[in-house]
Amino acid sequence: MSAAARPLSEQPARTDRLALMHGRPSAGELTDHLLAPLWRSSPLWWLLFALSSAGTLLLIATVTYTVARGIGVWGNNIPVAWAYAITNFVWWIGIGHAGTFISAFLILLNQRWRGSINRVAEAMTIFALVNAAIFPVLHLGRPWFFYWLIPYPATMNVWPNFKSALPWDVAAVTTYFTVSLLFWFLGLVPDLASARDRATTRARKIVYGIFAMGWRGSGFQWQRYRVAYVLLAGLATPLVISVHSVVSLDFSIAQLPGWHSTIFPPYFVVGAIYSGLAMVFVLVLPLRRAFKLHDIITDAHLDALAKLTLAMALMLTYSYVIETFMAWYSANPAEQYTYLIARPTGPYAVVYWIMTALNVGTPQLFWVPRLRTNPVVLFVASVGILAGMWMERFVIIVTSLNRDFLTSSWHTYAPTWVDWGILAGSIGLFGFLFLLFVRFVPSVAISEVKALSIQLSAARPARATSDA
Amino acid sequence: MHRHDAHQEPHDELTRRTFLKALGASLALAGLDGCTRLPAEKILPYVNQPPELTPGIPLHYATSMVLDGFATGLIVEAHEGRPTKIEGNPEHPASLGAAGLLEQASLLQLYDPDRATHLRNGSAPSSWQAFVTAFSPAALRQRVGARGERLALLLEPTSSPLIASRVDVLRTLYPAMRVFVDAPLGATGMDGAFTATGVIPQYDFRAADVILSVGSNFLAAGPFNLRYARDFSDRRRSPASGMNRLYVAESDFSVTGGAADHRVPLAPGALESMLAEVLNAVRGGGGASPWSAAVAQDLMAHTGRGVVITGENQSARVHAFAAAINDALSNTGRTVWFTRSPLLGGTDTSTSVNALSEAIAGGQIDTLVCLGGNPSYSTPGAVGFSASMRRVPNSAYLGAYENETARDARWFVPAAHYLETWGDALAYDGTYSLVQPLVQPLHGGKSVVELLSVLAGEPLPDVREAVRKVATTHGVAAGDTAWTGALGRGFVAGQTLARVTVTPRPDLLSPPTAVAQPDGAITVAFAYDTRVHDGSFANNGWLQELPDPMTKATWDNAALIAPATARRLGITTGDVLDISNGNVAVRIPALLVPGHAIDTLTLPLGYGRAGAERVARGVGVDVNPLRPANGSSILGGVAVKRTGERHEFAVTQGHWTMEGRGQARTLSLAELSRGAPVSDRRARRTLTIYDPPSAPRLDAPQQWAMTIDLGTCIGCSACVVACQAENNIPVVGRDDVANSREMHWLRIDRYVEGPEENPRTITQPMLCQQCENAPCEYVCPVGATTHSSDGLNEMVYNRCVGTRFCSNNCPYKVRRFNWIDYNAGLSDTEQMGKNPDVTVRERGVMEKCTFCVQRIREAEIAARVDGRPLRGSEVKTACQQSCPTNAIVFGSLTERDSDVARQRGDQRAYTVLDELDTHPRVTYLARVRNANSSLEPHG
Repeated sequence: MSAAARPLSEQPARTDRLALMHGRPSAGELTDHLLAPLWRSSPLWWLLFALSSAGTLLLIATVTYTVARGIGVWGNNIPVAWAYAITNFVWWIGIGHAGTFISAFLILLNQRWRGSINRVAEAMTIFALVNAAIFPVLHLGRPWFFYWLIPYPATMNVWPNFKSALPWDVAAVTTYFTVSLLFWFLGLVPDLASARDRATTRARKIVYGIFAMGWRGSGFQWQRYRVAYVLLAGLATPLVISVHSVVSLDFSIAQLPGWHSTIFPPYFVVGAIYSGLAMVFVLVLPLRRAFKLHDIITDAHLDALAKLTLAMALMLTYSYVIETFMAWYSANPAEQYTYLIARPTGPYAVVYWIMTALNVGTPQLFWVPRLRTNPVVLFVASVGILAGMWMERFVIIVTSLNRDFLTSSWHTYAPTWVDWGILAGSIGLFGFLFLLFVRFVPSVAISEVKALSIQLSAARPARATSDA
Repeated sequence: MHRHDAHQEPHDELTRRTFLKALGASLALAGLDGCTRLPAEKILPYVNQPPELTPGIPLHYATSMVLDGFATGLIVEAHEGRPTKIEGNPEHPASLGAAGLLEQASLLQLYDPDRATHLRNGSAPSSWQAFVTAFSPAALRQRVGARGERLALLLEPTSSPLIASRVDVLRTLYPAMRVFVDAPLGATGMDGAFTATGVIPQYDFRAADVILSVGSNFLAAGPFNLRYARDFSDRRRSPASGMNRLYVAESDFSVTGGAADHRVPLAPGALESMLAEVLNAVRGGGGASPWSAAVAQDLMAHTGRGVVITGENQSARVHAFAAAINDALSNTGRTVWFTRSPLLGGTDTSTSVNALSEAIAGGQIDTLVCLGGNPSYSTPGAVGFSASMRRVPNSAYLGAYENETARDARWFVPAAHYLETWGDALAYDGTYSLVQPLVQPLHGGKSVVELLSVLAGEPLPDVREAVRKVATTHGVAAGDTAWTGALGRGFVAGQTLARVTVTPRPDLLSPPTAVAQPDGAITVAFAYDTRVHDGSFANNGWLQELPDPMTKATWDNAALIAPATARRLGITTGDVLDISNGNVAVRIPALLVPGHAIDTLTLPLGYGRAGAERVARGVGVDVNPLRPANGSSILGGVAVKRTGERHEFAVTQGHWTMEGRGQARTLSLAELSRGAPVSDRRARRTLTIYDPPSAPRLDAPQQWAMTIDLGTCIGCSACVVACQAENNIPVVGRDDVANSREMHWLRIDRYVEGPEENPRTITQPMLCQQCENAPCEYVCPVGATTHSSDGLNEMVYNRCVGTRFCSNNCPYKVRRFNWIDYNAGLSDTEQMGKNPDVTVRERGVMEKCTFCVQRIREAEIAARVDGRPLRGSEVKTACQQSCPTNAIVFGSLTERDSDVARQRGDQRAYTVLDELDTHPRVTYLARVRNANSSLEPHG
C-alpha cells in the first residue's frame, strides 16, 4: 500500500524530461501504484462526485420535462429546427473520437507512448458516446418511435429511408459504440484480473473476477489476446474516419447554404479528433496530478498530444479557409451570404469570432515547446478548444438555418433554461461516469505500462531516454 | 338538426365525460372483463335520421353574415350538423364566392368556449322566463311611462328589414321610445358632406380605368370589399389588355396601399389639400404638386372611367372633394353613384351613443336595452358611456360574451351566434339576404328579434316564420317553393338600392386654409384593425394570430409610426410610448412602418379588451380612452413621449427586404409589352447524371399544380384563415409566434423595397411548393414524407418521428412542427369545429400544406362513383376558394386547356428558387405595375 503514496521513482530521473517513463519500477510496484485508487477514495473525489451527480440529476430532470411536454420547451423554431441538441450530439461524438484514435490508430502505427493514456481516452470515448446517444433520440418529436430509424423487419414492411443520412448515422454510431466498448473491455481484461488478484474484500474479488473472465495471464491467453486486440484495433480504425464522416453527412446532404459542402467529412473528422484530444488533456492532467502518475504519464506524452492537437488545429483551420473560399468561389448569393455576411456579421457573430479565436488561435501556443508540457497552459487551452469546438457546431447548425434562402423566414434562435440544463447535465453525466471509472477501473493500462517498462529496460537498461 | 348541449357539461376538472374516458382506458387496459359490461350511456340507433343527411357527407347551407349592418352571402359546410367551414356564396353580389377574414373566422366564435352561457340578473343567475316577465310590457310600462319615453334601445347598425319591422311593432306600443345606434367608428364623415344626408356611395370598379383611393382600404375592409377586390383584380388579370391603374393616398399602410401602382403617404390633414389640388387641376387650375397634377391628368384622360374613392371615416370635406371630382369628370352616374343608406337610423347623429349618454345623464332613461355591440368598450373614452350605463336603473344587454358592457348591465342575456339564428339583412347594394341557422343555439342564446319580441309582449315568435313573412315583401313569392328556393340560394337576386342624386355641400369645397399646426405636432389617426375589427373579434385566436398584412405583427396593436418621425422622436420599434391628450393618456408600444405618413400615429382599435374573454384579455392596448367625444377618427396635437419601457412584438416576418434574391418579382407594363422574360432559367433543365425527379412516377391522370398571380394578390390574408379553418391548424399563442412557431401552412410573405419614406411592397403567398424534386423527401430517415403519383408531396403523420430534417432542407421553410401538443385541452365545442376530413396532428410531428388533399380525394371518389373522369377544375383548394381576387388557380397539368396549365406557360410565370432544381408545382406570375410615366423618374 505504501508504494502508492509516493512517486514511483525515489529520485525522479528528470535528466530527460521527455522520457516515456521515469524510473524503472518493478511490475509489482507498478501494479500496486496503479490499482491504488480502486481501494480507497479521497474527499476530492467525493466532492467532484457530488457535483457531477447533481449534474446528472439535472439531466434526468430536464430530459424528463422535455419528454413530458415536448421539445417545445427548447428554444428551437422554424427555421432553426435543430440547435442545442444536435450541437451537443456532434460535440460529444467528436470528443468520442480521440479515444479510439489514440488506442487503435496509434497501436497500428506502433506508437508506444499511447499505453499510459489509452485507457483514459477509451473510457472518455465510451462516456462521450453515451452522452451523444441521448441527443438524437431526445431531439425527436416523438422519441418513443426512435427505433423506426433502425432497419428491422417490421410487419408493415416499411424500412428506413436509406437515402437519408440519419439511418446511416444511427448505424455508424451504434457500430462505433459497440466496437469501442469491446475494445475497451478487451484491453481491461488483464488489468481486471490484476484487480481481482489484489482485491481487498471478497465482494470485490467476485465482481472483478467475473469481469476478468478467467484471465490467468498464460502465454496462450496473451497470444490470443494480442491477436484479438490488434484485430479490434484494425476494425476500430476505419470507424474513427467513418463515424464522423457519416455524422457530417447529416448536414452536407442538405442543400442548405452552410451545410451543403463536400469538405464536410474530412473537416468533421479532423474537428472531432481535435476536440477529443483537448478532452484527453482535460481528463489526464488532473488525473496525473491526483494519482501522482507523473512517471507514467510524462511530459513526453503531453508533448506528443500537444503536437497532434496542433496538427489537427492546422487542418481544421485549412477547412475553415477552404469552406469560406468555396462559398465565395461558388458565386451563389445564398452561400456567399451565409459565409461572408451572416456568420461574421450576423446575429451570432460574437459566437463565430470567439470560436475562430479559440479553435484557430489557442493551439498556436503549441508551437512553443515549453508550453507543450506546461500542464496549466495545456489545461486552459484545452478547455478553450472544447468550448470553441462546441461553438463551431453551434455556428454550423444555427447560423446556417437562421438565415437561409427566403429572407421572409429568417429568425433567430435563443436557448431556454432547458437547453442550458441539458447541456450542463450532460457534462455532469460525463463527469459522473468518469469519476466512477477512475474509482472502480484501473485508469491506466497496467499491463501495457508494465510491458513498456520491461521493453524500455531491455533496450537501455541503464538509463531511460527519449523514445518519442 | 341536432342539439349539442355542450353547455350542460360542467366546466370541472373531472367531468363525467373525462371520467368515462379514463374509465374506458382503464377497462381497455384491464382487457378481459370488459365484454360483460354495458356502456354507461344509452346508445340509440339513428332512427330519425334526416333524409338529406348521410353520415360522413357534409352538407352546405346558404346563409349571410352581417357586419357593420350589411350582409355578405355565405355557404357554410356542416358535418352531421356541425358547421365546420365558411365559404363565400358564389352568387351573392357581396361575396362572389370569396369570404373575408372576419366571415371565415366567425366560425371559431360559434364554438368559443368563452361564450356566455347563462342568463343573469345582477350577479345572480336567472332564467329566460324571469327576464320575459321583467321586460314584459306589463312590468315595463310602470317604469318607462305609458308611451315608453324612458325606454331606450341601443342597436348595432343593421339593415335587417325584420329587425326594422320588430322595432316598428315596439314603437306602436311605446311611441316615445328612443332608439340609438352604436356604430363604433361609423360613417361619420359621409354625414354632412352632401346636401342630402343618409346616403352611401356605390362604385363599379369593373368600369374604372383609373382609381384614386383616399384614405380608403376598399380592397380589404368595409362593406362590399370582397366584391370591390374582385372587380378591381379582374382589370389586372391580363395586364396586356386594359389594365387599370390605382393611386392611393393614405396615412397608414393599408392592403390597398400595397396594391397601388402609385402611393403617397399623407398625413390625415393633408388628404383634403391633395384632393383640393386635384379638383382644382381637374377644373383647369394649376399649382398642384407633381403627384396631384399627374393624378388629375390621368383622371381627366379617363373621364367617366375613373373613380375617386374615400375612406368612410374621412372628414366631410374629403368626401365632398372626392364627390366634386367625380362629378367634374362625369364619373358620377357611371362608375360612382349614391344610394340611400339602408341602415336603421341612417347616420343621424341624434341616434348616436353620445346622444344616449347625454339622455342618461339627464335622467331621461330608466330602462336601456342594449342589443349586441360592446359600447362600454368601444365608445370614445370622453363619452364616458360605461359609467352612464351603470347609472341606468334598469338595463339589459344581449351579448355573446360577459364583456365590458355585460359588466355594466343589470340583466345579461347570452346572444345567439348568427349561425344559430334566423334573420335577414341587406347587402351593401341592397340585395335582400337571408340568415339561416345551421345549429340550434349551443348555449341557449337569444337573438335580437327574440328580445324585441319580449319587449313587445308577444310570445316568442317562430323567427323563421317571421323572416318568411318579411321576405315576401322583398321579392320572395308566397308558397313553399319560392321560400325554399330563396333559402337554398341565400338571397333574392336583382334587388338593389335606388340611386339618388346628391351634390356635395359647396361650403365644404373652399380651398383648405393652411393648417396652422406647430412644427412636428403629432396627429393620431384611429383605425379599425383588419383582424379584430372594433374589438368584437378580439377573442378569436385565428384572427389574433393572423399577421397584420403590413407589419406582420400578431397578438398586438401598436402605435404605427414613420421611421423618420420615430428617429426625430428618438423612438424605435418596441418602445412603449405615452400618448396623451389633456389628462387622458394611453401607453402603447411603437412599431415603425416604412411608408407611413410622417408626424402621424395610427392607433388600431379593438385591442386591450378587459372582458371575460380569455383569448382577448391582455392583448394589445385599448386606445378608445384617447378618442375624442365626437367620434372623429383624427386627433391632433397629442403629446408623445417615451416611457423607457420596452415591448417585444410577435412578428412573423422580421426581415423585410428580398436581399436581391428575386423571390417575388415585378415587371412594369412596359417591360411586359416588350416581352421581357421574368425568369432567365425557364425551360432550361439542369444537366444531371441522376434520373429526373426521383422516387415519384408521375403517372396519375391528374397532375396537380397551382399558380399564384402576384399581380392580383393584395395580401389580404383571407387564404391564411381559410387554410387554418380547413386544415385544423392550431393556434399557438403569442409566445410561440414570437419564437417563430406559428403553424400557418400558408403564409403571406410581404417584402418592402425602396426608400423607407415611401417604399413599394409586394405580397407573396408562400405554401408548400409541392416540388417534383422535393428536398424534404430524401432527407427523411423514416420515409414520412413521400411523393404521390399525382404530384403531391405527402406528409404521413403516423410515420413521422419528428427529426425536422425536412424543414431544415426545405428552401421555402413552409413546413410546420408541433413543438408541443397544441391541441391539448380543446373544449368540447372547439372539437366540434374541427374538420373531420383532416387529421388533428399530435405533438412531435411535422405538417404542411397538402394542396387540400382531402378535397382532391373527395372529388376523385365522387367522380369514381359517378363513373366519369375527374376534371381538375372540380377541385378547389381552401385558399383558392376564399381568395377575393382569384389570384390562386388550381388544377391539373394533364389538361392542356386548364387555367393552371395555361398560366404556367404565361410570359409572367416563374418558380421561386428555380436554381435549386426543385421543380415546384406552384408557379408564380410576376406582378405587373401599371406606372404612370410622368411619375417615374426614369420613364
